[in-house]
Amino acid sequence: MNAPFFKFEYFNSDVSLIIAFVIGIAFGIALEKGGFGRATILASQFYFTNMRVLKVMFTAIVTAMLGLYFLSVIGFVDLSLVYLTQTNLLPMAVGGLIAGLGFIIGGYCPGTSMVAVATGKLDAMVFVVGMIFGILVFGEMFPGIENFFNSGFMGTVTLPSFFNLSYGLVVFLVVLMAIGAFTAAEWGEKKMEAKTGREKL
Amino acid sequence: MTSITKWITHVFEKEDGHEHIHIDAKPYSNPYLVGIGLGLVLLAAFVIMGRGLGASGALSTLVAVAVNTIAPEHSTGNNFYSEYMGDGSTNPLMDWLIFQTLGVLAGGFLSGTISHRVKKGVEKGPRISTKMRFVYAFIGGGLLGYGAKLARGCMSGQALSGGAVLNLGSWIFMMMVFVGGYAAAYFMRRQWT
Amino acid sequence: MKKFWSNLSLNKRLALIAIIFGLVALFAGDPYGGTTIKVNEKDLVLSTVGNADKVLVTDLADWIIKGKSDFELIDLRSEDKYNEYTIPGSQSIPLPQISSSDLLRNQKIVLFSDDDVASSQAWFILKTKKYKGVYILDGGLEAWKEKVLFPKAPVNDSKDDLAEFEKMKEIAKYFGGQAQTDSSAVETKQQIKLPTAPTSTTKTSAPTGKKKKREGC
Repeated sequence: MNAPFFKFEYFNSDVSLIIAFVIGIAFGIALEKGGFGRATILASQFYFTNMRVLKVMFTAIVTAMLGLYFLSVIGFVDLSLVYLTQTNLLPMAVGGLIAGLGFIIGGYCPGTSMVAVATGKLDAMVFVVGMIFGILVFGEMFPGIENFFNSGFMGTVTLPSFFNLSYGLVVFLVVLMAIGAFTAAEWGEKKMEAKTGREKL
Repeated sequence: MTSITKWITHVFEKEDGHEHIHIDAKPYSNPYLVGIGLGLVLLAAFVIMGRGLGASGALSTLVAVAVNTIAPEHSTGNNFYSEYMGDGSTNPLMDWLIFQTLGVLAGGFLSGTISHRVKKGVEKGPRISTKMRFVYAFIGGGLLGYGAKLARGCMSGQALSGGAVLNLGSWIFMMMVFVGGYAAAYFMRRQWT
Repeated sequence: MKKFWSNLSLNKRLALIAIIFGLVALFAGDPYGGTTIKVNEKDLVLSTVGNADKVLVTDLADWIIKGKSDFELIDLRSEDKYNEYTIPGSQSIPLPQISSSDLLRNQKIVLFSDDDVASSQAWFILKTKKYKGVYILDGGLEAWKEKVLFPKAPVNDSKDDLAEFEKMKEIAKYFGGQAQTDSSAVETKQQIKLPTAPTSTTKTSAPTGKKKKREGC
């Protein structure tokens, strides 16, 4: 048995769609249970009153990172077959900034808006319509911004290869950073609670 | 705008207007446990498929297919649309991300139903009208759609999936999302607090 | 130890577990597995002995003419040589880059270079990386030139051989070569101009021109 299963052709792409649906269900449940279906909870991240977004996201990253790392080290997963998005430095930074603005203005990100739609949030439906509009605008503008979109191309770069550190060390540093961030978040939340006298959602 | 608001609200009232039993929604689970759960879902995607999770890609495919249906010659000359259309050998709608996103809708509804959290409503702070909230939601959605495409992925595809495989671009994206969010938070405070 | 553990809150326990995993990761090594490869000796030997991993040039010519596209044809030579001449429909992946290429493991892959040496090496590398359908073009580009582009007239003029030669002539013509009816022409083979690289036609007709759907979101 070798993983990733799909890349070793243990099943065809029709079966992969069923798997996609099942994984999607689990993803949706996790997001909903995390409280990510509510814009007020998501937005409170940016007012330091409720750091759930940071906690859930970083815990998920750390869990998946550790899992993938150890499964690769023991030779179960061929990490070189796991898809890595190429890095285009400037477009990604600018895109991130725009997405961040959209996040605080709109209150959702693409994945969470789906959960919010499923749990009956009307603003999330408007958000999704807006997102489709944004993608359409991007698509229409694409011939004009294609050069910028492809600028700053660095290939597929990982943090270890970029900083020339061992993979294991970066894994360790990310764990430390996450735990540092969690400690700060817990402390900050208590402070804010005392200050505003409001309990977090 | 007001009429649209009313119409949307109205449609939903029809659906569950007869439901009067009020059950308290369960509180959300411990964020770290949810995070571990989410991380395991992501890990499963990596191990089974060799790819991470995504969300905005499904909408992009829908947009590309729609444009291609309405104006085929217009979309073929555009590299953005044609990338989502594939090489024509497969139906672009039979796509991994589309089925995954359908799953997210189903999973969200399932989990929300079990915890009694499926409820028609508008998410906003007390100081803003529903109409303005919808305006902001549209603008924010537009920005996110645009930004996510420019950055080759959204929070799920870039920050979460790319973060776990220590992809450089994904971490830059993630940092910039927080920068953008915190920078604009002050100006948006009326909407949320 | 047990008491220490039970005194911790859930969150602290989780943090502790994460730190322990992180510490182990510090010393556990490189997940990309570096450049070492594991070999299943028997497997490799068996598939080589059976000669099942070879594709004849005439078969390949047949496939290309018939428009078969269920395989990837890989030119392992340098890119300069690739630009000079290559078999129509091939894709250039110089040997040093073969292990980092994005070929799929379920694809049928036909490798070729000038002779059999580089393709055998690439075949071995791909096999150890668990590629399933890897094939070598028997005799490489030399055989391609000799048998497909510039086939020689048969020595004895039996009917079957002649009929076969007529067919070969057509095939040679298809690929821009020329059959050698005069046996003396064999010696002047070096002067025969190779068909110019049909780069423009290659790009459009080759299966490599396919647009792969991206996997990110």
